[in-house]
Amino acid sequence: MTKLMQWLFVLALLGTAWATLALGPLGHHLPLPCQQVLHPFPAYLLVAAGCYSLATVGYRLATFNDCEAAAQELQEQIKEARMDLWRRGLKF
Amino acid sequence: MATVMDQLVGFGLVAFSLILFVYYTIWIIILPFIDSDHGIHKLFLPREYSVTIPVIAGLFLVLFVGVFVMTVMWKNRKPAKKSD
Repeated sequence: MTKLMQWLFVLALLGTAWATLALGPLGHHLPLPCQQVLHPFPAYLLVAAGCYSLATVGYRLATFNDCEAAAQELQEQIKEARMDLWRRGLKF
Repeated sequence: MATVMDQLVGFGLVAFSLILFVYYTIWIIILPFIDSDHGIHKLFLPREYSVTIPVIAGLFLVLFVGVFVMTVMWKNRKPAKKSD
């Protein structure tokens, strides 16, 4: 099962549950506050996902750093490799 | 390294999204369970707007992204090939 199918399956499940509860084709009646919560619930999920992604982008932006130690190590390794190749007679 | 400006913008985004999430959660999830004559209802718009405002905001977002992509592609377009 691909990731797309998983997502579609979950979305279909949630959508069916929401439609069953909110539109009430079975003729049942939820108490009014529950109906009022349920009606805009998909929009609420969407807004929550949007907030999460916005916060993630902001947090990663604020804590973005460059890896000094790793850069140093990489430069060392490049130097070593150059020396090694030069010793074997490779001209740059 | 993230500059001070980057950190400001980043944590500003985090704060904005947190405030938005809390406000929207109270508006959508908690408010229906509070008596309608309570004073807290004055702080929120009527419930009809709770879906239309996000939808309109989303439309504006899509519009903005579309315009942005269009301008970038327009600026980077290759000069037209000479006709052969």
